[in-house]
Amino acid sequence: MWASVQAAITQLVGTSVGSMSFWERILYLIGKYGPSYLEGAGNTLLIAIIATAIGCIIGLGVGIVQTIPVSKKDNAVKRFVVRFFQVLLRIYVEVFRGTPMMIQAVFIYYGAAQMFNIYMGTMFAAFFIVSINTGAYMAETVRGGILSVDPGQTEGAKAIGMTHVQTMMSVILPQTLRNIMPQIGNNLIINIKDTCVLSVISVVELFFVHKGVAGALYTYFESATITMVIYLTMTLVCAKLLRWWEKKMDGSDSYDLATTDTLAHTTGMYNYPGQGSPYDEKSKEYDQKRGAKHV
Amino acid sequence: MSEMILQINHLSKSFGSHEVLRDIDFTVEKGDVTSIIGASGSGKSTLLRCVNLLETPTSGEILYHGTDITGPKVNAAAYRSHVGMVFQSFNLFNNMTVLENCMVGQIKVLKKSKEEARAHAMEYLEKVGMAPYINARPRQISGGQKQRVAIARALAMDPEVLLFDEPTSALDPEMVGEVLNVMQALAQEGMTMLVVTHEMAFARDVSSHVVYMNQGVICEEGTPEEVFGNPQRQETKDFLSRFRKN
Repeated sequence: MWASVQAAITQLVGTSVGSMSFWERILYLIGKYGPSYLEGAGNTLLIAIIATAIGCIIGLGVGIVQTIPVSKKDNAVKRFVVRFFQVLLRIYVEVFRGTPMMIQAVFIYYGAAQMFNIYMGTMFAAFFIVSINTGAYMAETVRGGILSVDPGQTEGAKAIGMTHVQTMMSVILPQTLRNIMPQIGNNLIINIKDTCVLSVISVVELFFVHKGVAGALYTYFESATITMVIYLTMTLVCAKLLRWWEKKMDGSDSYDLATTDTLAHTTGMYNYPGQGSPYDEKSKEYDQKRGAKHV
Repeated sequence: MSEMILQINHLSKSFGSHEVLRDIDFTVEKGDVTSIIGASGSGKSTLLRCVNLLETPTSGEILYHGTDITGPKVNAAAYRSHVGMVFQSFNLFNNMTVLENCMVGQIKVLKKSKEEARAHAMEYLEKVGMAPYINARPRQISGGQKQRVAIARALAMDPEVLLFDEPTSALDPEMVGEVLNVMQALAQEGMTMLVVTHEMAFARDVSSHVVYMNQGVICEEGTPEEVFGNPQRQETKDFLSRFRKN
């Protein structure tokens, strides 16, 4: 089948684009610019995945700091330092959540060059901008995730003598992570799509390629069709993979009884045959022995 | 005179202007099984939570082997590792299996090796009859089973005192017995226990000491025979008669 497509493409080369039908143009674009589209899609996916991962780490860090409990029992220095960082991080979250990523890209990319003489590569700039943007959103998600874990979990951990850090690491964060997985997936999909704004600083991602191709041959509709299909494929595959990963995190719905020892079901069940206790079905027996009636 | 573990002096606790506990005095000696009974809202649970520092007392002191643990310099986590607590809502760690629930404290807090923690956890899980379920997660077992695991988790820390905050109140009636059986056996083994409970049969038959609380104060206390057999205060009589009718 691919051979016939290739044959069709070879036939099309040399023909003028203006005289082609819609499907012929699509084939032509794929034949001529296929590798460019793939490169763009690859970069889009790379930026989205890595920046989402870094963003999650930033968000986790910020969320953890935002939920450090400060009590009046703590000394003044600790209280000041924690409060200071909490306010600082609050500002970071509000600024990056409250402005468009497109303008952030321009601001940081050109600002760094003009103010600090830092000329970062466009790909580096892309990772940087999408990461801190995702981090701002994830910070709130993580904070919400931490707060959504039943306070009883914290009390259970405290009651066996765990410190705040131990409680967070062993009990709260694993549950938080599971709870915010759908939101992480959401962010990944948003990032796959929203990296297109990075074309404003000439990052070679999928939208940038589309703009180039469409502008060169005036094939806006055809190129947009191809680009749409590629974006949709990427987001659907990612969504599916994340669902699968979530299921894996949940573990099996069934469990094995550890019954290597045939006595395991009864060992130490605290039964007093012939004596009974006031709380089980033998209570009558127990009452008779006591010679008293139940309260 | 046996060894004094906890001594509570003039303990008060307010939530805002609402005074929940007023001038509470009582002691826990080694081997005591103290039942705290009383109507809902009388401050029983708050008292227990103060003892474990899950609530900060407004005033008064809690002496643990003679050291006041309400002070600012006290390491609350270290103190809590000696005082186990069993909650009404179990509070098992949802992200761990039954066995891991009983191991994590030993490993993180007591710094035991995995093998040691496992062996110790198994010992107590067998005791409460939950050994076959070590691979289950909390969401997969019943309420009574959860509570027995929670008791094993607390016991695995080798606490000096075990606090029970209405351990059977969230359970279906048929599951109450299995938890109370475990508690009764612990009492017979000499475990020091402080139990907030609505199970009058447990308070009467198992405990060595009964405290009746009413509106934030200790209204009456004594042996089960004294409190149940011959209550002195009218409030106590009224409270107990309400239970007898049911």
